Amino acid sequence: MAEGSNFDYLFKVVLIGDSGVGKSSVSPFLVLSRFTRNEFNLETKSTIGVEFATRSITVDGKTLKAQIWDTAGQERYRAITAAYYRGAVGALLVYDIAKHATYVNVTRWLKELRDHADSNIVIMLVGNKSDLKHLRAVPTEEAKTFLNGLSFIETSALDASNVESAFQTILTDIYRIVSSKQLEQNADPIKPSRTGGGCC
Amino acid sequence: MAARPPPTRPHINLNPSSHFSYPTNEWGEDDAWDSASDSESASNSQSAWGRSLQTTPSRPSGAASAPKPVPRRSQNSSSSTLAFSYTHVSAPSPGSYPSHTDLIPPTKNGWTIVQKTNGDGSLGVDDKTESHEVEPDHEGDNDMVFEDLESEFVDMPVLPKSRPNAACVRLDAVEIANDPLRLLRRPGGRHGRAGSSSSQRSRSSSPHYDKPSEKLKREQSFKNNRRHKFIECLSREDVDMSELRKLAWSGIPDDFRPLAWPLLLGYLPLPMRLRSSTLDRKRGEYQSLVDLTFAKGRDGLDQQIWHQIEIDVPRTRPGVELWMHSSTQRCLERILYVWAIRHPASGYVQGINDLATPFFEVFLSAYVDADPEDIDPSILPPPVLAAIEADSFWCLSRLLDGIQDNYITAQPGIQRSVKRMAELVGRIDAPLSEHLAAQGVEFMQFAFRWMNCLLMREISVKNTVRMWDTYLAEGPDAFSQFHLYVCSAFLVRWSDKLREMDFQGIIMFLQSLPTQDWTDHEIEMLLSQAFVLNSIWHNAQSHFTKK
Repeated sequence: MAEGSNFDYLFKVVLIGDSGVGKSSVSPFLVLSRFTRNEFNLETKSTIGVEFATRSITVDGKTLKAQIWDTAGQERYRAITAAYYRGAVGALLVYDIAKHATYVNVTRWLKELRDHADSNIVIMLVGNKSDLKHLRAVPTEEAKTFLNGLSFIETSALDASNVESAFQTILTDIYRIVSSKQLEQNADPIKPSRTGGGCC
Repeated sequence: MAARPPPTRPHINLNPSSHFSYPTNEWGEDDAWDSASDSESASNSQSAWGRSLQTTPSRPSGAASAPKPVPRRSQNSSSSTLAFSYTHVSAPSPGSYPSHTDLIPPTKNGWTIVQKTNGDGSLGVDDKTESHEVEPDHEGDNDMVFEDLESEFVDMPVLPKSRPNAACVRLDAVEIANDPLRLLRRPGGRHGRAGSSSSQRSRSSSPHYDKPSEKLKREQSFKNNRRHKFIECLSREDVDMSELRKLAWSGIPDDFRPLAWPLLLGYLPLPMRLRSSTLDRKRGEYQSLVDLTFAKGRDGLDQQIWHQIEIDVPRTRPGVELWMHSSTQRCLERILYVWAIRHPASGYVQGINDLATPFFEVFLSAYVDADPEDIDPSILPPPVLAAIEADSFWCLSRLLDGIQDNYITAQPGIQRSVKRMAELVGRIDAPLSEHLAAQGVEFMQFAFRWMNCLLMREISVKNTVRMWDTYLAEGPDAFSQFHLYVCSAFLVRWSDKLREMDFQGIIMFLQSLPTQDWTDHEIEMLLSQAFVLNSIWHNAQSHFTKK
């Protein structure tokens, strides 16, 4: 629709994490597209199954377009949502800094990705709700050292801090990997044929 | 596909009342009402709202002085919520204005059916009437109030407040709870719920008409005629289920719905003499379930289920006043948790919370002369609120009985429905089907939600309520079988648009469909299309097994 098909790379990214950590609100542009969103109310409806959003950024003069699949966190939906891991080149794994259990479950989500996603998937750990300083249950340092090699960021969908850079970072990371790989050989992500890709 | 889905049930009216069996397990009848948990603050509200307040909720008239009435029902737009919520936030204490009740003569401009307590019409009809009455001074005040509070409101989450609308609790609420048949004895059409949107629109858009046009007259007489049929049908000693279904298929008048739905669902027995004892028993039973379930306090609960419910309840119909009140949320928590515990194969699954809301709103509408969505239920007498909760629980249970395999592990019911829907759409709209396939759109990507929440994320609650009239008339399988045809018709409806979109466009479009302005009319079109599809295809199952 709006963004057309002017892009150099198309990356599929999944948003995963426990229910209620704010996956859907990590990306405001996504929230805006939601049927139910009422911007004067902090609550959004729970995500059922999977919802879709898209976002483009420019890196090195290349337009990177992300297809973001925002998944429902509840266990029961795992069978449905796991299908969306296939072909994903990035995952934003979100937890709630004010709820320690959601941080503990990060390990389970990582396993989930190992089981269902591509082994080269770029994972970024996102500690959401950083505005809830007084309720913080997961120290920033702890999360930082939790997994080396995993990029990490804290966000607040409430004040939009870092949400933008979370996407910037993961998409750039993916791009670096993909473009370096491409030098060697062909890359996994979908490279659109500029001619007929979409029909809009 | 090897295993065929079970065939659909033959169409309505064939075996009237045998669909639902009544569970016979008896729960202690000695469990008297213990609704202390239901209403933290409601105990003396009844007496506080004296009988003289019946006519008007002394709403501040700030909104009335705004240029034009805000259409209340388009609740999907944030602006209406903003404007509307403002009246809550800003509501001065009832005493700070003279009650409009005293000022307003019963008849004005030949417009006699103004119902001051009509929740839905209130922003339309009410406002107009009030603005005639309010002195200029007041209007000025209110304008200022409006501005102040508007800016204040932007920074403030909407805070539910106990508001003057207690006046709209029906005086005979307790009696209705015990004998829903009283709903029939009310003269004229009250429009507590916004079900009959067409009538509302005509009333609020032209409040000054003296001579109703021929068309309106005809509509009115048609409606009266239908009401009469309903009254006749519902007031029989022994309600004829096939007659009721036939009537309900085309929509139930708002004020009869709280009686008709439980009858259609088999929650309320068809013979009149059994009803009040059954209600007593079922409500008592629910109360003991609640007592039992929550006996050990929070620690005694299944933490995982409780946690999920606890985070979903505030996310249920966010922004709608009714659902932001603590008393509503506590009711919903209990309903969902008790259901989940009693259905371990599925437990609580996100989306079930949505399905509970139409029941709660419909039952609530029986006791108030206002839009139930504007109500703080804690103003109700505790036994009445407890009755709403229990009735909602049992009716939700009935509905879920028919679609339980939507919610068990791997959600096979939904998988099956989505698959069949894809096959059906391939049959009825091949170009669309091919276009979706060419774009890489899978039905699961959008129709999963349509099945899981019965389209409640796609259409308004008001639309849903109307749709359920027909579903309930279709019979208990409708929520799994007939719904499939409704979903197919729903998708095909957008065919022209969809066929011009690419993958992203399609997915985004289906995620936020432009149904905000849908009235009963669009829903009824959809239902008739689904009916046709159902009639053609439900006996032609082999078409679905082509793969």
